[in-house]
Amino acid sequence: MLFADDLCNISGKGGSEIRMTEELMEKLEVKTVFTIPLFGGIPVTESIVVTWIIMAVFIIFAIVMTRGLRTRNITKRQAFLEWMVTKLDNMVGGMVHGKAKVFSEYLITVLLYIGLANIVGIFGFKSPTKDMNVTIALALMSIVLVEAAGIIFLGIRKHLHKFIEPTPVILPINIMEVVTKPLSLCMRLFGNVIGAFVIMALIEIVVPIGIPMVLSVYFDFFDGLLQAYVFVFLTGLYLTEAVE
Amino acid sequence: MLEIDFWSILFTVINLAILFVAMKFLLFKPVRNIIAKRQEEADAAAKEAEERAAEADRCKAEYERAIAKTEAEREKILTEARAQADEEYRKMLTEARSEAEIIKKDASTEGEKRKQRIISEAGKEIGDMIASATTKILGNVDESELYDAFLNTMEEEK
Repeated sequence: MLFADDLCNISGKGGSEIRMTEELMEKLEVKTVFTIPLFGGIPVTESIVVTWIIMAVFIIFAIVMTRGLRTRNITKRQAFLEWMVTKLDNMVGGMVHGKAKVFSEYLITVLLYIGLANIVGIFGFKSPTKDMNVTIALALMSIVLVEAAGIIFLGIRKHLHKFIEPTPVILPINIMEVVTKPLSLCMRLFGNVIGAFVIMALIEIVVPIGIPMVLSVYFDFFDGLLQAYVFVFLTGLYLTEAVE
Repeated sequence: MLEIDFWSILFTVINLAILFVAMKFLLFKPVRNIIAKRQEEADAAAKEAEERAAEADRCKAEYERAIAKTEAEREKILTEARAQADEEYRKMLTEARSEAEIIKKDASTEGEKRKQRIISEAGKEIGDMIASATTKILGNVDESELYDAFLNTMEEEK
């Protein structure tokens, strides 16, 4: 594999370096946890299992936090929950405008999912966004939503007419955008997460004590959350563009 | 990592759809409902407060109007009472004056009458005395007797 060879070149050809490279590649490998015996065997990968864990965390959080909500004399828990939802609403509300605001709940869900998926590695889990299939799925959902929103809100004629706006000359570029938009969304997220992971792994090899902890704040937390924000921001932008 | 797996993509799409629905109904909806409900309650309270303020303003205006009316009525009654009292006073004063005038006039007339009567009586008595004296003078010779008689008469008169 080209990627593994590159890592070998970076870390040298020594036995320990090769072992570290193998360890790194193993960390990057998405293993099949179990196979569902249907349609000739459906593989369930680690990223899917971790996604289920993330889903469970959010669902349990939602159930626990929304118990006994009141309009007066609210608890600190409810105040925090309301503050959080309002903040998320405002944040995503700033990304989408006009009719596209109906998608804000979906965008918040994606933001929370990618955000937690990017930083879940800190808790010992394999980050689902390190699996390109997850980022492909996220990007596909975004672009399907964007195109569907365009058709629903504008009608198929107007939506198709947008491909020749402002001039029919750019029709090929607009058609290409249908592919490049999800591709860029997918690759940006995947590339950044993999990049941050590889850099952190290399730093851990070079300086195992102290420095990785400090840099982890940037590469694991900041970059992870930033990429979630960027993904949702771009999806919001495409949605706003599609429905206007 | 770099292999495209249809099942993983499908699983992720389904997972995300489930997560979206779960978050919508378990997190966003209850929180938004409670915020909207609180907003409704706050709006209702604000509306009620506005209505109460309007009612209070209306009551205040009514009260002020009633106060002004009472004040005007009081003023009218006072003015009427003053006018009536003045009239009564003037009337009583006029009556008193005319009565005093009559009393004064009567007293003056009576005094004059009494004076005339006294003068007339005195004149008469003096005449009588003169007549008596004259008679005695003419009737008696003795002057001393006449004098004594005159003195006695005067003494008696006293």
